[in-house]
Amino acid sequence: MTISRFLTFTLAALLGLLLSGCGYNDFQRLDEQTKSAWSEVLNQYQRRADLVPNIVATVKGEAAFEQDTLTKVVEARAKATSIQVTPETLNNPAAFSKFQAAQGELGSALSRLMVVSERYPDLKANQGFRDLRVQLEGTENRITVARNRYIQTVQEYNVLTRSFPNNLTAMVFGYQVKPNFSVQNEAQISTPPVVDFNKK
Amino acid sequence: MLFVSGGARLLGGLLLAAWLPLAAWAQGGVQPVPALTAHIMDGTGTLSAAQREALEAKLTAFEQSRGAQVVMLLVPTTQPEDIAAYAQRVGDSWKIGRKGVGDGLLLVVAKNDRKVRIETTKALEGAIPDLAARQVIDTAITPRFKQGDFAGGLDAAADQLIALISGENLPAPEHSGSRSNNDGFEWTDLAVFLFFAVPIAGRIAAMVLGRKFGSLATGGVVGVLAWIFTSSLIVAGLAVLVGTVFALVASIGALGGSRSSGGWTSGGLGSGSGGWSSGSGGSSSDSGGFSSGGGGDFGGGGASGDW
Repeated sequence: MTISRFLTFTLAALLGLLLSGCGYNDFQRLDEQTKSAWSEVLNQYQRRADLVPNIVATVKGEAAFEQDTLTKVVEARAKATSIQVTPETLNNPAAFSKFQAAQGELGSALSRLMVVSERYPDLKANQGFRDLRVQLEGTENRITVARNRYIQTVQEYNVLTRSFPNNLTAMVFGYQVKPNFSVQNEAQISTPPVVDFNKK
Repeated sequence: MLFVSGGARLLGGLLLAAWLPLAAWAQGGVQPVPALTAHIMDGTGTLSAAQREALEAKLTAFEQSRGAQVVMLLVPTTQPEDIAAYAQRVGDSWKIGRKGVGDGLLLVVAKNDRKVRIETTKALEGAIPDLAARQVIDTAITPRFKQGDFAGGLDAAADQLIALISGENLPAPEHSGSRSNNDGFEWTDLAVFLFFAVPIAGRIAAMVLGRKFGSLATGGVVGVLAWIFTSSLIVAGLAVLVGTVFALVASIGALGGSRSSGGWTSGGLGSGSGGWSSGSGGSSSDSGGFSSGGGGDFGGGGASGDW
Protein backbone atom coordinates (compact mmCIF):
# COMPACT_ATOMS: atom_id res chain seq x y z
CA MET A 1 0.00 0.00 0.00
CA THR A 2 2.51 2.51 1.14
CA ILE A 3 5.04 1.27 -1.36
CA SER A 4 2.64 1.59 -4.28
CA ARG A 5 1.71 5.08 -3.13
CA PHE A 6 5.37 5.97 -2.94
CA LEU A 7 5.87 4.56 -6.42
CA THR A 8 3.00 6.58 -7.82
CA PHE A 9 4.38 9.70 -6.28
CA THR A 10 7.84 9.04 -7.66
CA LEU A 11 6.48 8.32 -11.10
CA ALA A 12 4.44 11.49 -11.08
CA ALA A 13 7.47 13.51 -10.00
CA LEU A 14 9.61 11.84 -12.66
CA LEU A 15 7.02 12.48 -15.34
CA GLY A 16 6.86 16.12 -14.32
CA LEU A 17 10.63 16.37 -14.55
CA LEU A 18 10.71 14.61 -17.91
CA LEU A 19 8.01 16.80 -19.41
CA SER A 20 9.63 20.03 -18.32
CA GLY A 21 12.99 18.69 -19.44
CA CYS A 22 11.67 17.96 -22.90
CA GLY A 23 10.41 21.48 -23.39
CA TYR A 24 6.74 20.61 -22.89
CA ASN A 25 6.17 23.83 -20.96
CA ASP A 26 8.08 25.80 -23.57
CA PHE A 27 5.71 24.45 -26.19
CA GLN A 28 2.73 25.61 -24.17
CA ARG A 29 4.22 29.06 -23.62
CA LEU A 30 5.22 29.63 -27.23
CA ASP A 31 2.00 28.15 -28.56
CA GLU A 32 0.04 30.70 -26.55
CA GLN A 33 2.43 33.45 -27.62
CA THR A 34 1.93 32.67 -31.30
CA LYS A 35 -1.82 32.65 -30.78
CA SER A 36 -1.83 36.06 -29.17
CA ALA A 37 0.53 37.45 -31.80
CA TRP A 38 -1.80 36.04 -34.44
CA SER A 39 -4.81 37.66 -32.78
CA GLU A 40 -3.03 40.99 -32.98
CA VAL A 41 -2.43 40.46 -36.69
CA LEU A 42 -6.12 39.68 -37.23
CA ASN A 43 -7.07 42.68 -35.12
CA GLN A 44 -5.09 45.03 -37.33
CA TYR A 45 -6.34 43.46 -40.55
CA GLN A 46 -9.86 43.94 -39.22
CA ARG A 47 -9.06 47.58 -38.53
CA ARG A 48 -8.06 48.00 -42.16
CA ALA A 49 -11.15 46.22 -43.41
CA ASP A 50 -13.30 48.54 -41.27
CA LEU A 51 -11.62 51.54 -42.81
CA VAL A 52 -12.32 50.53 -46.41
CA PRO A 53 -16.07 51.41 -46.56
CA ASN A 54 -15.26 54.97 -45.45
CA ILE A 55 -12.55 55.30 -48.05
CA VAL A 56 -14.83 53.92 -50.77
CA ALA A 57 -17.65 56.26 -49.77
CA THR A 58 -15.34 59.28 -49.88
CA VAL A 59 -13.83 58.31 -53.22
CA LYS A 60 -17.27 57.71 -54.72
CA GLY A 61 -17.98 61.39 -54.17
CA GLU A 62 -15.42 62.04 -56.86
CA ALA A 63 -17.65 61.58 -59.91
CA ALA A 64 -15.03 60.79 -62.51
CA PHE A 65 -13.05 58.35 -60.41
CA GLU A 66 -11.75 55.20 -62.10
CA GLN A 67 -14.50 52.70 -61.43
CA ASP A 68 -12.25 49.75 -62.10
CA THR A 69 -9.88 50.57 -59.23
CA LEU A 70 -12.73 51.17 -56.86
CA THR A 71 -14.46 47.92 -57.72
CA LYS A 72 -11.27 45.99 -57.15
CA VAL A 73 -10.97 47.40 -53.62
CA VAL A 74 -14.57 46.53 -52.80
CA GLU A 75 -14.18 43.01 -54.18
CA ALA A 76 -10.89 42.42 -52.41
CA ARG A 77 -12.39 43.54 -49.10
CA ALA A 78 -15.38 41.26 -49.55
CA LYS A 79 -13.06 38.37 -50.31
CA ALA A 80 -10.74 39.06 -47.39
CA THR A 81 -13.52 39.38 -44.84
CA SER A 82 -15.36 36.33 -46.14
CA ILE A 83 -12.52 34.02 -45.08
CA GLN A 84 -13.27 32.53 -41.70
CA VAL A 85 -10.19 32.53 -39.51
CA THR A 86 -10.06 30.11 -36.62
CA PRO A 87 -7.15 29.16 -34.38
CA GLU A 88 -6.85 26.05 -36.55
CA THR A 89 -5.88 28.28 -39.45
CA LEU A 90 -2.50 28.56 -37.79
CA ASN A 91 -1.91 24.84 -38.11
CA ASN A 92 -3.20 24.61 -41.65
CA PRO A 93 -0.67 25.96 -44.19
CA ALA A 94 -3.16 25.90 -47.07
CA ALA A 95 -5.79 27.96 -45.24
CA PHE A 96 -3.08 30.27 -43.96
CA SER A 97 -1.72 31.01 -47.43
CA LYS A 98 -5.26 31.56 -48.72
CA PHE A 99 -5.90 34.09 -45.96
CA GLN A 100 -2.59 35.76 -46.62
CA ALA A 101 -3.28 35.97 -50.35
CA ALA A 102 -6.68 37.58 -49.75
CA GLN A 103 -5.23 40.18 -47.38
CA GLY A 104 -2.38 40.82 -49.79
CA GLU A 105 -4.87 41.44 -52.58
CA LEU A 106 -6.73 43.97 -50.45
CA GLY A 107 -3.45 45.65 -49.58
CA SER A 108 -2.38 46.05 -53.18
CA ALA A 109 -5.86 47.15 -54.30
CA LEU A 110 -5.79 49.84 -51.62
CA SER A 111 -2.33 51.06 -52.50
CA ARG A 112 -3.35 51.19 -56.15
CA LEU A 113 -6.34 53.30 -55.12
CA MET A 114 -4.08 55.67 -53.23
CA VAL A 115 -1.75 56.03 -56.21
CA VAL A 116 -4.65 56.69 -58.58
CA SER A 117 -6.15 59.25 -56.20
CA GLU A 118 -3.07 61.42 -56.75
CA ARG A 119 -4.51 62.28 -60.17
CA TYR A 120 -7.62 63.87 -58.69
CA PRO A 121 -6.82 67.29 -57.22
CA ASP A 122 -10.27 67.67 -55.65
CA LEU A 123 -9.89 64.39 -53.84
CA LYS A 124 -6.40 65.26 -52.66
CA ALA A 125 -7.71 68.52 -51.24
CA ASN A 126 -10.63 66.81 -49.50
CA GLN A 127 -9.94 66.94 -45.74
CA GLY A 128 -11.96 63.80 -45.08
CA PHE A 129 -9.98 61.87 -47.63
CA ARG A 130 -6.69 63.15 -46.25
CA ASP A 131 -7.68 62.01 -42.77
CA LEU A 132 -8.59 58.58 -44.07
CA ARG A 133 -5.22 58.41 -45.80
CA VAL A 134 -3.43 59.08 -42.51
CA GLN A 135 -5.52 56.44 -40.78
CA LEU A 136 -4.87 53.92 -43.51
CA GLU A 137 -1.15 54.62 -43.34
CA GLY A 138 -1.16 54.13 -39.55
CA THR A 139 -3.11 50.91 -39.94
CA GLU A 140 -0.70 49.57 -42.52
CA ASN A 141 2.15 50.36 -40.14
CA ARG A 142 0.41 48.51 -37.34
CA ILE A 143 -0.14 45.54 -39.63
CA THR A 144 3.56 45.51 -40.43
CA VAL A 145 4.50 45.57 -36.75
CA ALA A 146 1.97 42.88 -35.84
CA ARG A 147 3.14 40.68 -38.68
CA ASN A 148 6.77 41.15 -37.67
CA ARG A 149 6.00 40.10 -34.13
CA TYR A 150 4.08 37.10 -35.35
CA ILE A 151 6.99 36.12 -37.58
CA GLN A 152 9.42 36.33 -34.67
CA THR A 153 7.23 34.29 -32.33
CA VAL A 154 6.61 31.62 -34.92
CA GLN A 155 10.31 31.47 -35.66
CA GLU A 156 10.99 30.81 -31.99
CA TYR A 157 8.27 28.18 -31.88
CA ASN A 158 9.48 26.46 -35.04
CA VAL A 159 13.08 26.38 -33.86
CA LEU A 160 11.90 24.72 -30.67
CA THR A 161 9.80 22.22 -32.61
CA ARG A 162 12.65 21.17 -34.85
CA SER A 163 15.58 21.07 -32.45
CA PHE A 164 16.61 17.98 -30.51
CA PRO A 165 15.33 16.70 -28.08
CA ASN A 166 12.20 18.82 -28.28
CA ASN A 167 11.34 17.37 -31.70
CA LEU A 168 10.62 14.10 -29.90
CA THR A 169 8.20 15.87 -27.57
CA ALA A 170 6.65 17.57 -30.57
CA MET A 171 6.25 14.22 -32.29
CA VAL A 172 4.62 12.61 -29.26
CA PHE A 173 2.17 15.46 -28.72
CA GLY A 174 1.63 16.21 -32.39
CA TYR A 175 3.02 19.76 -32.45
CA GLN A 176 3.80 20.86 -35.95
CA VAL A 177 5.82 23.65 -37.46
CA LYS A 178 3.56 26.67 -37.89
CA PRO A 179 3.28 28.49 -41.22
CA ASN A 180 4.83 31.93 -41.46
CA PHE A 181 4.29 35.01 -43.59
CA SER A 182 6.17 35.27 -46.84
CA VAL A 183 6.51 37.84 -49.56
CA GLN A 184 3.47 37.40 -51.78
CA ASN A 185 4.58 39.01 -54.99
CA GLU A 186 7.99 37.41 -55.17
CA ALA A 187 8.03 37.32 -58.96
CA GLN A 188 6.88 40.92 -59.15
CA ILE A 189 9.66 42.12 -56.86
CA SER A 190 12.41 40.20 -58.59
CA THR A 191 11.63 41.71 -62.01
CA PRO A 192 12.72 45.34 -62.32
CA PRO A 193 9.87 47.77 -62.94
CA VAL A 194 9.41 49.12 -66.45
CA VAL A 195 9.55 52.89 -66.55
CA ASP A 196 7.89 54.47 -69.51
CA PHE A 197 7.98 58.26 -69.65
CA ASN A 198 6.28 58.48 -73.04
CA LYS A 199 2.93 57.26 -71.83
CA LYS A 200 0.83 60.03 -70.51
CA MET B 1 30.89 35.27 -2.03
CA LEU B 2 31.70 38.89 -2.67
CA PHE B 3 34.36 37.96 -5.14
CA VAL B 4 32.11 35.53 -6.99
CA SER B 5 29.37 38.07 -7.54
CA GLY B 6 31.91 40.65 -8.67
CA GLY B 7 33.29 38.13 -11.10
CA ALA B 8 29.85 37.39 -12.44
CA ARG B 9 29.26 41.07 -13.02
CA LEU B 10 32.54 41.39 -14.84
CA LEU B 11 31.75 38.37 -16.97
CA GLY B 12 28.30 39.76 -17.75
CA GLY B 13 29.86 43.04 -18.77
CA LEU B 14 32.33 41.28 -21.03
CA LEU B 15 29.60 39.22 -22.66
CA LEU B 16 27.53 42.33 -23.24
CA ALA B 17 30.50 44.15 -24.73
CA ALA B 18 31.18 41.25 -27.05
CA TRP B 19 27.53 40.98 -28.05
CA LEU B 20 26.81 44.62 -28.86
CA PRO B 21 28.94 44.99 -32.01
CA LEU B 22 27.68 41.59 -33.12
CA ALA B 23 24.11 42.83 -32.82
CA ALA B 24 24.96 45.93 -34.81
CA TRP B 25 26.53 43.79 -37.47
CA ALA B 26 23.53 41.47 -37.60
CA GLN B 27 21.25 44.39 -38.40
CA GLY B 28 22.81 44.80 -41.82
CA GLY B 29 23.52 48.15 -43.37
CA VAL B 30 20.81 50.08 -41.51
CA GLN B 31 21.33 53.12 -39.29
CA PRO B 32 22.35 52.24 -35.73
CA VAL B 33 20.12 53.04 -32.77
CA PRO B 34 21.95 55.54 -30.51
CA ALA B 35 22.11 55.03 -26.76
CA LEU B 36 19.33 56.87 -24.95
CA THR B 37 20.75 59.52 -22.64
CA ALA B 38 18.35 62.47 -22.71
CA HIS B 39 14.89 63.63 -23.78
CA ILE B 40 16.47 65.52 -26.66
CA MET B 41 18.86 63.39 -28.69
CA ASP B 42 20.38 65.66 -31.30
CA GLY B 43 22.61 63.68 -33.62
CA THR B 44 22.75 66.45 -36.19
CA GLY B 45 23.99 69.43 -34.20
CA THR B 46 20.95 71.42 -35.32
CA LEU B 47 19.96 72.80 -31.92
CA SER B 48 22.11 75.21 -29.96
CA ALA B 49 23.02 74.23 -26.41
CA ALA B 50 20.54 76.76 -24.99
CA GLN B 51 17.69 75.55 -27.23
CA ARG B 52 18.39 71.96 -26.36
CA GLU B 53 18.48 72.67 -22.64
CA ALA B 54 15.22 74.62 -22.76
CA LEU B 55 13.46 71.74 -24.52
CA GLU B 56 15.06 69.21 -22.23
CA ALA B 57 13.88 71.17 -19.19
CA LYS B 58 10.34 71.33 -20.57
CA LEU B 59 10.14 67.59 -21.19
CA THR B 60 11.81 66.74 -17.87
CA ALA B 61 9.32 68.92 -16.01
CA PHE B 62 6.48 67.24 -17.86
CA GLU B 63 7.79 63.81 -17.01
CA GLN B 64 8.07 64.76 -13.36
CA SER B 65 4.56 66.18 -13.22
CA ARG B 66 2.70 63.65 -15.39
CA GLY B 67 5.04 60.69 -15.70
CA ALA B 68 4.88 60.31 -19.47
CA GLN B 69 8.19 60.20 -21.32
CA VAL B 70 8.55 62.19 -24.53
CA VAL B 71 11.80 61.78 -26.44
CA MET B 72 12.89 63.64 -29.56
CA LEU B 73 15.56 62.17 -31.79
CA LEU B 74 17.25 64.09 -34.58
CA VAL B 75 19.26 62.07 -37.07
CA PRO B 76 20.77 63.09 -40.41
CA THR B 77 19.09 60.25 -42.29
CA THR B 78 17.26 56.97 -41.80
CA GLN B 79 18.30 55.52 -45.18
CA PRO B 80 18.05 52.81 -46.37
CA GLU B 81 15.05 52.37 -44.09
CA ASP B 82 11.75 54.17 -44.22
CA ILE B 83 11.39 56.63 -41.31
CA ALA B 84 8.51 54.57 -39.90
CA ALA B 85 10.62 51.40 -39.86
CA TYR B 86 13.55 53.21 -38.26
CA ALA B 87 11.35 54.87 -35.61
CA GLN B 88 9.77 51.52 -34.86
CA ARG B 89 13.19 49.94 -34.37
CA VAL B 90 14.35 52.79 -32.11
CA GLY B 91 11.12 52.54 -30.11
CA ASP B 92 11.48 48.78 -29.73
CA SER B 93 14.99 49.15 -28.44
CA TRP B 94 14.42 52.15 -26.12
CA LYS B 95 11.00 51.13 -24.82
CA ILE B 96 10.24 54.67 -23.67
CA GLY B 97 7.45 54.87 -21.12
CA ARG B 98 6.87 53.93 -17.53
CA LYS B 99 6.91 50.29 -16.52
CA GLY B 100 3.36 49.02 -16.22
CA VAL B 101 1.95 52.15 -17.88
CA GLY B 102 3.94 52.31 -21.10
CA ASP B 103 3.26 55.98 -21.78
CA GLY B 104 6.05 56.91 -24.13
CA LEU B 105 6.27 59.02 -27.25
CA LEU B 106 9.04 59.24 -29.80
CA LEU B 107 9.51 62.04 -32.30
CA VAL B 108 12.06 61.32 -35.00
CA VAL B 109 13.41 63.96 -37.37
CA ALA B 110 15.44 62.80 -40.36
CA LYS B 111 16.94 66.12 -41.33
CA ASN B 112 18.49 65.33 -44.70
CA ASP B 113 15.53 63.21 -45.75
CA ARG B 114 13.26 66.10 -44.74
CA LYS B 115 10.97 63.68 -42.97
CA VAL B 116 9.51 63.66 -39.50
CA ARG B 117 7.57 61.02 -37.59
CA ILE B 118 5.66 60.90 -34.33
CA GLU B 119 5.58 57.38 -32.95
CA THR B 120 3.20 56.60 -30.10
CA THR B 121 3.19 53.65 -27.75
CA LYS B 122 0.03 51.60 -27.48
CA ALA B 123 -0.75 53.31 -24.16
CA LEU B 124 -0.86 56.72 -25.86
CA GLU B 125 -2.72 55.69 -29.02
CA GLY B 126 -5.89 56.88 -27.32
CA ALA B 127 -4.47 60.24 -26.26
CA ILE B 128 -2.79 60.83 -29.61
CA PRO B 129 -4.56 59.04 -32.43
CA ASP B 130 -2.83 58.99 -35.79
CA LEU B 131 -4.86 61.97 -36.97
CA ALA B 132 -3.87 64.06 -33.96
CA ALA B 133 -0.23 63.16 -34.53
CA ARG B 134 -0.58 64.18 -38.14
CA GLN B 135 -2.16 67.45 -37.06
CA VAL B 136 0.75 68.21 -34.75
CA ILE B 137 3.10 67.63 -37.65
CA ASP B 138 1.03 69.75 -40.04
CA THR B 139 0.40 72.67 -37.72
CA ALA B 140 3.42 72.81 -35.42
CA ILE B 141 6.34 71.20 -37.17
CA THR B 142 6.08 71.50 -40.96
CA PRO B 143 5.50 75.29 -41.25
CA ARG B 144 8.43 76.09 -38.95
CA PHE B 145 10.75 73.47 -40.39
CA LYS B 146 10.11 74.91 -43.86
CA GLN B 147 11.58 78.19 -42.62
CA GLY B 148 14.51 76.37 -41.04
CA ASP B 149 13.23 77.02 -37.50
CA PHE B 150 13.89 73.57 -36.08
CA ALA B 151 13.95 74.55 -32.41
CA GLY B 152 10.69 76.48 -32.77
CA GLY B 153 9.00 73.57 -34.54
CA LEU B 154 10.07 71.07 -31.91
CA ASP B 155 9.08 73.44 -29.11
CA ALA B 156 5.60 73.98 -30.56
CA ALA B 157 5.26 70.22 -31.11
CA ALA B 158 6.27 69.58 -27.50
CA ASP B 159 3.59 72.02 -26.30
CA GLN B 160 0.88 70.38 -28.39
CA LEU B 161 1.92 66.85 -27.45
CA ILE B 162 2.06 67.75 -23.77
CA ALA B 163 -1.44 69.21 -24.00
CA LEU B 164 -2.72 66.05 -25.71
CA ILE B 165 -1.11 63.68 -23.23
CA SER B 166 -2.31 65.78 -20.29
CA GLY B 167 -5.87 65.22 -21.49
CA GLU B 168 -5.46 61.49 -20.96
CA ASN B 169 -6.18 60.06 -17.55
CA LEU B 170 -2.82 58.44 -16.86
CA PRO B 171 -1.70 57.32 -13.40
CA ALA B 172 0.21 59.97 -11.48
CA PRO B 173 3.96 59.53 -11.21
CA GLU B 174 5.44 58.16 -7.99
CA HIS B 175 7.64 60.88 -6.68
CA SER B 176 9.78 58.95 -4.22
CA GLY B 177 11.91 56.19 -5.57
CA SER B 178 10.04 55.79 -8.82
CA ARG B 179 13.31 55.54 -10.70
CA SER B 180 14.82 52.88 -8.47
CA ASN B 181 11.69 50.76 -8.75
CA ASN B 182 11.83 50.83 -12.51
CA ASP B 183 13.66 47.52 -12.65
CA GLY B 184 10.51 45.82 -11.42
CA PHE B 185 12.00 45.00 -8.02
CA GLU B 186 9.48 45.03 -5.19
CA TRP B 187 10.66 45.90 -1.69
CA THR B 188 7.63 44.37 -0.05
CA ASP B 189 8.34 41.06 -1.78
CA LEU B 190 11.83 41.10 -0.37
CA ALA B 191 10.58 41.91 3.12
CA VAL B 192 8.13 39.00 3.00
CA PHE B 193 10.84 36.72 1.61
CA LEU B 194 13.23 37.66 4.39
CA PHE B 195 10.52 37.27 7.00
CA PHE B 196 10.21 33.61 6.05
CA ALA B 197 13.65 32.77 4.74
CA VAL B 198 15.81 34.32 7.44
CA PRO B 199 14.32 32.47 10.42
CA ILE B 200 14.43 29.15 8.55
CA ALA B 201 17.96 29.68 7.25
CA GLY B 202 18.96 30.98 10.67
CA ARG B 203 17.71 27.87 12.43
CA ILE B 204 19.40 25.54 9.96
CA ALA B 205 22.65 27.49 10.17
CA ALA B 206 22.42 27.48 13.97
CA MET B 207 21.98 23.71 13.94
CA VAL B 208 24.99 23.21 11.65
CA LEU B 209 27.39 25.89 12.83
CA GLY B 210 26.19 26.70 16.29
CA ARG B 211 24.21 29.71 17.39
CA LYS B 212 26.84 32.45 17.10
CA PHE B 213 28.46 31.46 13.81
CA GLY B 214 25.17 30.39 12.30
CA SER B 215 23.60 33.78 13.00
CA LEU B 216 26.66 35.55 11.68
CA ALA B 217 26.60 33.47 8.49
CA THR B 218 22.90 34.19 7.94
CA GLY B 219 23.50 37.88 8.53
CA GLY B 220 26.35 37.78 6.03
CA VAL B 221 24.21 36.15 3.37
CA VAL B 222 21.45 38.72 3.89
CA GLY B 223 24.05 41.47 3.61
CA VAL B 224 25.42 40.14 0.33
CA LEU B 225 21.90 39.82 -1.07
CA ALA B 226 21.17 43.40 -0.07
CA TRP B 227 24.40 44.54 -1.65
CA ILE B 228 23.61 42.75 -4.91
CA PHE B 229 20.10 44.16 -5.11
CA THR B 230 20.76 47.71 -4.03
CA SER B 231 24.50 48.05 -4.75
CA SER B 232 24.68 50.25 -1.67
CA LEU B 233 27.19 49.35 1.03
CA ILE B 234 25.31 51.22 3.77
CA VAL B 235 22.15 49.21 3.16
CA ALA B 236 24.21 46.04 3.02
CA GLY B 237 25.86 46.80 6.36
CA LEU B 238 22.50 47.54 7.90
CA ALA B 239 21.14 44.30 6.45
CA VAL B 240 24.03 42.30 7.97
CA LEU B 241 23.22 43.74 11.37
CA VAL B 242 19.47 43.15 11.07
CA GLY B 243 19.96 39.69 9.60
CA THR B 244 22.34 38.61 12.35
CA VAL B 245 20.09 39.81 15.15
CA PHE B 246 17.11 38.30 13.40
CA ALA B 247 18.75 34.91 12.99
CA LEU B 248 20.12 35.00 16.52
CA VAL B 249 16.68 35.66 17.98
CA ALA B 250 15.18 33.02 15.72
CA SER B 251 17.70 30.40 16.78
CA ILE B 252 17.18 31.25 20.46
CA GLY B 253 13.49 30.81 19.81
CA ALA B 254 14.12 27.45 18.17
CA LEU B 255 16.32 26.20 21.02
CA GLY B 256 14.31 27.82 23.78
CA GLY B 257 11.05 26.33 22.58
CA SER B 258 7.81 28.02 23.48
CA ARG B 259 8.76 31.69 23.84
CA SER B 260 9.68 31.94 20.16
CA SER B 261 7.18 33.64 17.91
CA GLY B 262 5.86 36.62 19.86
CA GLY B 263 9.35 37.75 20.78
CA TRP B 264 10.97 38.21 17.44
CA THR B 265 8.27 38.79 14.88
CA SER B 266 7.22 42.26 15.89
CA GLY B 267 10.58 43.75 16.78
CA GLY B 268 12.61 41.98 14.14
CA LEU B 269 10.32 42.63 11.23
CA GLY B 270 9.77 46.25 12.19
CA SER B 271 13.43 47.12 12.22
CA GLY B 272 14.02 45.04 9.12
CA SER B 273 11.48 46.80 6.97
CA GLY B 274 12.72 50.14 8.25
CA GLY B 275 16.13 49.27 6.92
CA TRP B 276 14.81 48.34 3.49
CA SER B 277 12.66 51.35 2.94
CA SER B 278 15.49 53.69 3.82
CA GLY B 279 17.59 51.83 1.30
CA SER B 280 15.03 52.45 -1.39
CA GLY B 281 15.05 56.14 -0.61
CA GLY B 282 18.82 56.25 -0.71
CA SER B 283 19.28 54.65 -4.08
CA SER B 284 16.67 56.87 -5.71
CA SER B 285 18.65 59.99 -4.89
CA ASP B 286 20.86 59.58 -7.96
CA SER B 287 18.04 60.21 -10.45
CA GLY B 288 19.78 63.12 -12.15
CA GLY B 289 20.18 61.54 -15.59
CA PHE B 290 17.39 60.43 -17.89
CA SER B 291 16.69 56.82 -18.55
CA SER B 292 13.85 54.99 -20.21
CA GLY B 293 11.15 53.51 -18.02
CA GLY B 294 11.38 50.38 -20.15
CA GLY B 295 7.62 49.83 -20.36
CA GLY B 296 6.73 51.37 -23.70
CA ASP B 297 5.34 49.10 -26.40
CA PHE B 298 5.33 50.65 -29.86
CA GLY B 299 2.72 49.03 -32.06
CA GLY B 300 3.22 51.12 -35.19
CA GLY B 301 0.85 53.95 -34.26
CA GLY B 302 1.59 57.57 -35.10
CA ALA B 303 2.00 59.59 -38.23
CA SER B 304 4.70 60.71 -40.62
CA GLY B 305 5.13 63.90 -42.54
CA ASP B 306 7.65 65.85 -44.55
CA TRP B 307 8.55 69.45 -45.21
